[in-house]
Amino acid sequence: MSAFAVDLPVVWFTLRVAALAVLLLAPFGLALALLLARRRFPGKALLETLVSLPLVLPPVATGLLLLKFLGRRGPGGRAAQALFGMDVVFTWKAVVVAMMVMSLPLLVRTARVAFEEVNPRLEAVARTLGASEARVLSTVTLPLASRGIAAGLLLAFARALGEFGATILVAGNIPGRTTTIATAIYNDVQTGLDGRAYGLLAVSAALAFGAIFLSEVWLKRRTNA
Amino acid sequence: MKELLVLVFAAASLTDALKEIAASWETAGGESVAFNFAASSLLARQIREGAPADLFLSADEVQMDGLEKAGLVEPGTRRSILSNTLVVVVPGDATAPLLSARDLTTSRVQRIALGEPGSVPVGVYSKKFFEGIGIWTLVAPKVVPTESVRATLAAVESGNVDAGIVYRTDALISKKVKIAFEVPAASGPAISYPFALVKGAPREAAARKFLEYLSSKAARAVFARYGFLVTD
Amino acid sequence: MTLSLEGLRLPLTPFALELDATLSAHVTAVFGPSGAGKTSLLEAVAGLRHPERGRIVLSGRVLDDAARGVRVPPRQRAVGYVTQDDSLFPHLSVAGNLRYGAGRGLAERPALAEDRVVDVLGLSLLLDRRPSTLSGGERRRVALGRALLSAPEILLLDEPLSGLDRVLKDRVLEHLLKVKAAFPLPILYVTHEAAEVVALADEVVILESGRVAALGPPGEIFQGVAHVSSA
Repeated sequence: MSAFAVDLPVVWFTLRVAALAVLLLAPFGLALALLLARRRFPGKALLETLVSLPLVLPPVATGLLLLKFLGRRGPGGRAAQALFGMDVVFTWKAVVVAMMVMSLPLLVRTARVAFEEVNPRLEAVARTLGASEARVLSTVTLPLASRGIAAGLLLAFARALGEFGATILVAGNIPGRTTTIATAIYNDVQTGLDGRAYGLLAVSAALAFGAIFLSEVWLKRRTNA
Repeated sequence: MKELLVLVFAAASLTDALKEIAASWETAGGESVAFNFAASSLLARQIREGAPADLFLSADEVQMDGLEKAGLVEPGTRRSILSNTLVVVVPGDATAPLLSARDLTTSRVQRIALGEPGSVPVGVYSKKFFEGIGIWTLVAPKVVPTESVRATLAAVESGNVDAGIVYRTDALISKKVKIAFEVPAASGPAISYPFALVKGAPREAAARKFLEYLSSKAARAVFARYGFLVTD
Repeated sequence: MTLSLEGLRLPLTPFALELDATLSAHVTAVFGPSGAGKTSLLEAVAGLRHPERGRIVLSGRVLDDAARGVRVPPRQRAVGYVTQDDSLFPHLSVAGNLRYGAGRGLAERPALAEDRVVDVLGLSLLLDRRPSTLSGGERRRVALGRALLSAPEILLLDEPLSGLDRVLKDRVLEHLLKVKAAFPLPILYVTHEAAEVVALADEVVILESGRVAALGPPGEIFQGVAHVSSA
């Protein structure tokens, strides 16, 4: 077996893009979770299904859809060229997008439960006390849902760290540019660098364990209502 | 009732030619053949890990050497009868002309798909080519590594890269790419496809027969038709 | 202040609440058995529920007009609503809860002074505590204080003494009487205990099966009725 080693730049890159993905995903994902928790509207079941799709579709299938959309000939790719003069596929930006799409269902599902557990009576009383919807959201809903939201963000982060199938299709495996922990392990296995693969495996396992464990702890210790 | 399946691990670039050859082989009464097409580096790895392959048809000598050193090649069965040419392809709808390797170093070309230059044979050959003419360092930052020569072809077909290097035989198969230029035999690396029987092949007798058939006149004609350079 | 409920129809299950009444006393009690629609009536005045028909007018301001599609949102209604389960914000301290609605005072309707309310309700020692550490009676008083401090035009109290033991009931009742004496704020008070009506209210509305069965001063209404409390 080749020497055990940990490719730190790859780990660091993966952590950065995963964090960025979750950061960009959060406002949209939380808004979606709030909408699904609070409102009824025609087509809601369809929206719920769409949001859950990346959880159930084979990740490479999702990757294929993203590739078609973000590629130079796809609508997303062309828009990026027209608006920003940049390519998306085969760059770190595609990694971020792949992570965002794959993490969306986990964030929305967890945050939605958190929002549903906030007693609507408390929000109603806040309104009678003169709070605007924005104030109700920021002073009652979000604080009371905060643990569940944090757990959801952490789960999303953990998922992003481990993302492989969609990423490899849409961002490739370009050393120094788009190689993540997962794609690096794949590559190292293929080229016989088992030692490096095991090094990254250890890091990956530690990160995943930490994130999930923390998320579970937070989910259990919810704010008493 | 054909339960005997000869399992052939073959380089991706041989896909179409081999399928045709196997079809005529079976029609002539030969045993059924099943293929596993992928980059030779991956196939060699799989064989090392114990995959039950009967034959290994590699796109470069390096992968076969590796297996031989590991004692996985049946002595006396290794032979190379095929060679290929490297070509630079561009998407079918590309407009700017690409005439030589130097053009790949200009800013017109942002991304070049190559087989993984550390392992996939076509990528290894490509890197040797670039190193041979001294432009590898200029080209390396633009490289999008792929899993196999067919993946390189797909990347160029999709238009997501500006150019790619594949074998001439692959470029001829695709309607969505055009050949920008061929790598002249003089400046290109020596491409060779060694074939061999895997040691301890589960279906040795049938596999030996198919291996023989691959060197037959009929098979060579098929290979030539697909654009391979047939030696001997 | 006058609260007019004109031709009001609130769909409930299994029946609908239909009301036509004008209430103008200082403390008006809404009396009736559980499920008579009393809480729904408060929710309608607070703007958390809307009538199918009719109008709700508070001191000349139209809060709801089903026919014209007028629905003033809760935050603009200036009602202080104390729910049956207090609905204190668990993540805020007592002080945080008390001050939540405090920004709403206007020139023509200035907010009550915090010290005064804290004093009347005996909350000064509780200000830094969390709601989860308070007793039932203490939570009631904090909810009351929070509503009072939001510059309401009317207080809506939903069974404020329910769920309390005898001793606590008396204590909170005392505080309610102090609030009535100290602040000229109209109060709509829902209960199913006649004793509370008699102790606090100037006027009582009896609801039965979704309709107003009687309306008038407690003395008159309860006079001559053998069994006054209902379950």
